[in-house]
Amino acid sequence: MNKRILLALTVAILLAFLPELVQAQEGLPNPDALANQNLRGYTHMFIAYFIAWSLILGWVISIARRLGRIEKTLTQ
Amino acid sequence: MSSKIRWSGAGLGFLGVALVLVVHWMVFFWVPTERTMGIVQRIFYIHVPSAWVAFMAFGIVAICSAVYLWLKDERLDMAAVAAAEGGMLFTAIVLLTGPLWGKVAWGTWWQWEPRLTLTLLLFFIYLGYFLVRSSTENPEKGKRFAAVVGIVGALDIPLIHVSVQFFRSLHPEPVVINPEGPSLPGDMLTTLFTGLAAFTVLFFAFFLFRYSLEHMKRAMVHRELAGEGSPLQGGVAS
Repeated sequence: MNKRILLALTVAILLAFLPELVQAQEGLPNPDALANQNLRGYTHMFIAYFIAWSLILGWVISIARRLGRIEKTLTQ
Repeated sequence: MSSKIRWSGAGLGFLGVALVLVVHWMVFFWVPTERTMGIVQRIFYIHVPSAWVAFMAFGIVAICSAVYLWLKDERLDMAAVAAAEGGMLFTAIVLLTGPLWGKVAWGTWWQWEPRLTLTLLLFFIYLGYFLVRSSTENPEKGKRFAAVVGIVGALDIPLIHVSVQFFRSLHPEPVVINPEGPSLPGDMLTTLFTGLAAFTVLFFAFFLFRYSLEHMKRAMVHRELAGEGSPLQGGVAS
């Protein structure tokens, strides 16, 4: 009988303090959000390096093609 | 002459590529991760060297243009064109890598704040440099107008540098060129300086190739003009 009363009291206390417990958890950063933020940093960094080297490579190819075309015309 | 320039360009190109490989090893395996911004701060090592090279290129455009207006030496105009094209490319890299960094660090891709806006303006000024050159009927006039745009455009560079000190700005203040000296830790500063050296060498390599291209292009135009002239002369003679 005493055990039942004890159990009921524990449940009642837990239910009474549940909103506070939930609120206390809300202050903590969401682990998924932190992981996403970290991954986003990696994605942005690799995209930045990819864009930079693609543009530079594109310019080099463009110069080489224009030089080739002019050389061909000049030899003709 | 043109082949000599290209051989020099190729030599500088090999040196530049070697330096770029060293920089990438330093960026991805050696330099520590910045504490507050995390991994995305590594964009700094291409963003800042690109900005440096763009400013240097537009400085070359301004100097060559000014001397061209004075001496009317065709080689100076060719050098200005070659530098302006490189400057535009590296400004485009700055304008594209900056927002990628800003989205993570500031939470926004773009802000119409002084430094960003003036850098975008710089890109459009040099776009105008090419438009002015190609839109005039008289090519000599086009070169002169473009030279003026090239000189005026370079006035934007010091404004970009000081804009973060005189206006409220999201962009951080200079961490290397400031009165108190560099505020970066030693290893980050070493990586940055290696990046600056690599981008500078690469720029000069490509600049020489682009100059050689401009030289050959003009040689072809002169040859075409001479070719057009000769049948007429022949016709008159016969």
